[in-house]
Amino acid sequence: MTKKINILTSKLVICFLMLFILLGCSGGREINDLEIVIGMGVDKDENSENILLTAQVVKEGEMEKSSGSGGGEGDGKAFWNVFGTGKSVFEAVRQITHKTGNRLFVSHNHVVICGKDLALEGLQKYIDFFLRAHEMRPTTIILIAEDRALDVMNAKPETEKLPAMNITKLVKTYGFTSHFYKVNMKDFASCLMCGTRAPIAPLVGISQDKDNKDIYVSGMAVFNNDKMVGRLTEDETRGLLWVLGKVESGVLLISSPNKQGKVAFEILEAKSKVIPEVKDGKIVMHVKIKGKSSLSEQTTAEDLATIEAFEKMQKAQTEAIRQEIMAAFDKSKELNADIFGFGEMIRKKHINKWKSLKDKWDEIYPTIELNTDIEVKIQKTDLLKKPVSPGKEEK
Amino acid sequence: MFRYISKIIRYSALKSKNAIHDDTPDKNNNEPILSDLEKNLEKIKGVLRDSSDVTFHEFNFGHDRRFKGALIFINNLTDKNEIHKNILQPLMYDVLLLKKDVNMDFTKIDTVRKNLISITGTQKLTLMSDLLDHLLTGATILLVDGAKEALAIKSQKIEHRSIEEPGTEAVVRGPREGFNENVNVNIALIRRKIKDPDLCIEKFNIGERSKTDVYIVYIKNVANPKLIEEIRERLSRIKTDAILESGYIEQFIEDAPYSIFPTVSNSEKPDKVVAKILEGRAAILVDGTPFALVVPMLFIESFQSGEDYYSRPFLASIMRLIRFLSFIISALGPAIYVALTVFHQELIPTQLLISIAAGRERVPFPAILEASLMIFTFDILREAGVRLPKAVGQTVGIVGALVLGQASVEAGLISPIMVIVVSSTAIASFAVPAQTDSGTILRYLYLALAGLAGGFGVIMGLLATLLHLSSLRSFGIPYLWPIVPLNFSGLKDTFIRMPLWTMSKRPNAIVWDGSDSYRQGPGLMPSPYKKDSDGSK
Repeated sequence: MTKKINILTSKLVICFLMLFILLGCSGGREINDLEIVIGMGVDKDENSENILLTAQVVKEGEMEKSSGSGGGEGDGKAFWNVFGTGKSVFEAVRQITHKTGNRLFVSHNHVVICGKDLALEGLQKYIDFFLRAHEMRPTTIILIAEDRALDVMNAKPETEKLPAMNITKLVKTYGFTSHFYKVNMKDFASCLMCGTRAPIAPLVGISQDKDNKDIYVSGMAVFNNDKMVGRLTEDETRGLLWVLGKVESGVLLISSPNKQGKVAFEILEAKSKVIPEVKDGKIVMHVKIKGKSSLSEQTTAEDLATIEAFEKMQKAQTEAIRQEIMAAFDKSKELNADIFGFGEMIRKKHINKWKSLKDKWDEIYPTIELNTDIEVKIQKTDLLKKPVSPGKEEK
Repeated sequence: MFRYISKIIRYSALKSKNAIHDDTPDKNNNEPILSDLEKNLEKIKGVLRDSSDVTFHEFNFGHDRRFKGALIFINNLTDKNEIHKNILQPLMYDVLLLKKDVNMDFTKIDTVRKNLISITGTQKLTLMSDLLDHLLTGATILLVDGAKEALAIKSQKIEHRSIEEPGTEAVVRGPREGFNENVNVNIALIRRKIKDPDLCIEKFNIGERSKTDVYIVYIKNVANPKLIEEIRERLSRIKTDAILESGYIEQFIEDAPYSIFPTVSNSEKPDKVVAKILEGRAAILVDGTPFALVVPMLFIESFQSGEDYYSRPFLASIMRLIRFLSFIISALGPAIYVALTVFHQELIPTQLLISIAAGRERVPFPAILEASLMIFTFDILREAGVRLPKAVGQTVGIVGALVLGQASVEAGLISPIMVIVVSSTAIASFAVPAQTDSGTILRYLYLALAGLAGGFGVIMGLLATLLHLSSLRSFGIPYLWPIVPLNFSGLKDTFIRMPLWTMSKRPNAIVWDGSDSYRQGPGLMPSPYKKDSDGSK
């Protein structure tokens, strides 16, 4: 018995000791040896045909300092934009290590910003690395710069310490206006691979008002295949999101029932349903939208809390939404880019007919008709029932 | 090499065993007591080697003082007052003896016992070895010239602490009393809680030199007779020279001596021990220690506290879950930290990663070394804190807190997050007192695995631990019961504590089929009194 146990324990001890020899901490890397990249920008080098890659590396020490006391050494920036050039993205990434000394750690990369010139040329060859590298996340947000990506990366935001984090926050809060939409690498790639659907990506730029250089995100870039062909304005983008059912919230402005002022509504909820109909070669998309809104602001003194006013305003809202949708639809026809994914919807519903439509989808798309059925309900008038106006105090 | 080492161990064990046998005093003492008083006394004096604390008091008694007798006792073990008042005085001055016409034969020990000794608890002895045993446990021995027997009279006087609140196992609600070093007091404490004729207390005498009293305490119809038989068997196998604490017994009878998990539980609190006895377990009380052993032990017992049952079930259940969590934290805390920061940085939220990186900027060591250093320092402090005199203890605490918490961070030796990880681990390890030992060992083991192979290593370690735990048994009961094997009625008192009126069955892994396995009947849920339960009106 004891002999048996002794042999067993000795085996176990040997196994445990072998762990140290065989494993040897392979695959481990200390945090100190990492350069944490939180954003990347891809541009064309101005002088050559090479890629100019901007990696935004966090300076951890600066991050910890409170923004006020940062003075003294350095410029107080919490980030460091490192540039690398190369014939391919991967080459540029590795070239950056000449400057950092440490390996770039890209698992925490939140955004990839592509310069406009790249987008116009075609993104396919540039985004391959971002999807293929195992450290990269498919949920990385992709944005198109209005001009050059590195300018966006260099802008120093006021509240956030890191431009890339700032952009991530901006994109994630698209719901407040629904004037742009969050697109990540995976979405972009799946749109691209789908064939008929046109990929879109939000546009990011720098506002030059006064002295402040603020990053802003607004509107969407529209791609045909992998080439950027045009852009959607803010209203057009929301038109697109209405159809997709992705409107989370936003301000809907209509003129008041007596046309004296404006009434602003907050969109509380929006649901959509699209039913494609294919009849003897003619395609009609029936879009059904159900929404709820609340009266958030009015610039007139009239009493809007009446049934008649509500009905009028509901109608006006319906019309406003319809206009946004039609604007987006017209733009997409003009660009011949199926941003709505109508092709996919038809494929799912009418697989047999789709086979014949698929090949000439580019020709068919501009002939599609859109039929909207919108229903908006005003749910509340927030804290005020009647407007704050002089001389109307009730007794 | 291992075989060689084991040979050495076995040899030395054999040697020490022989050494015990060479010295055993009962070798020559297994002979009867003689009728000649002088010879008997000479013999005893020879065996005891003229110990200075043994009193031999020879005296004459009876009418005309014609009978010769002797009292032998050990000074400090016996109550002298009692000897004088109730043994010596009646022997010499009893009214019976002063009468001339009394014709009693006081050379017969029975006659002496029945007529003269006014103490309960006397025993007739015929063998010299018995006589010595009784003498050494504190009895007063009465020898009478002409009698072939001796009388052992109970007159022990044992100093003991009063019943105090135990230092371990403090409770907010529940009895404060704790066991002390006197086993008779401890048995009384248990008796006082269970006034049941079925409560059995079996006495054993273990230790060739210490002759320590060891008691098995159980309830006859509740405890499994096989369990009791097994305990008897294991106790009787112990052949050692002394039992100084119940830990000696524990290490001689436990099921898995090579496991880091205890398979015998211990407690200082009578209420806890009684509760376990009522569940069908058996307690082993050892003279000289306040710690009673209870077998069989289940893993979940470590997470149960007496207070769980005294307070209402809601918070008790949450606290029990917190105890489970603390055990996990105490074993895995540093390991997970190291695995995440060295191998899986992508799993840490960005903001947290940045602050960890900022904290580690000046730290020159790899994370695994940093963590081991910190845990090691903590264990040093803990050990020092236990051993140091109370007055210095506080100083150590302050110095420790400063060294661990502040100075090492400021000096750039340790990152602030590591301080948080290790200190929370340290605190968590004390939330489950019964598993503090295993938690500490597992912490080092998992840390090594995490440093070597990251999350993979930790998972492998966990798997090995789980396999090991499920292979353990304590006196035949699966250690992980009622989780493995799954038992639903047992689960009522595992992760959460159900109300007492729902737990009508005793744990059915411990009680046996033929036993009284119900604590109470059904339908005990409290409700307002209803006059007509059948609803007729």
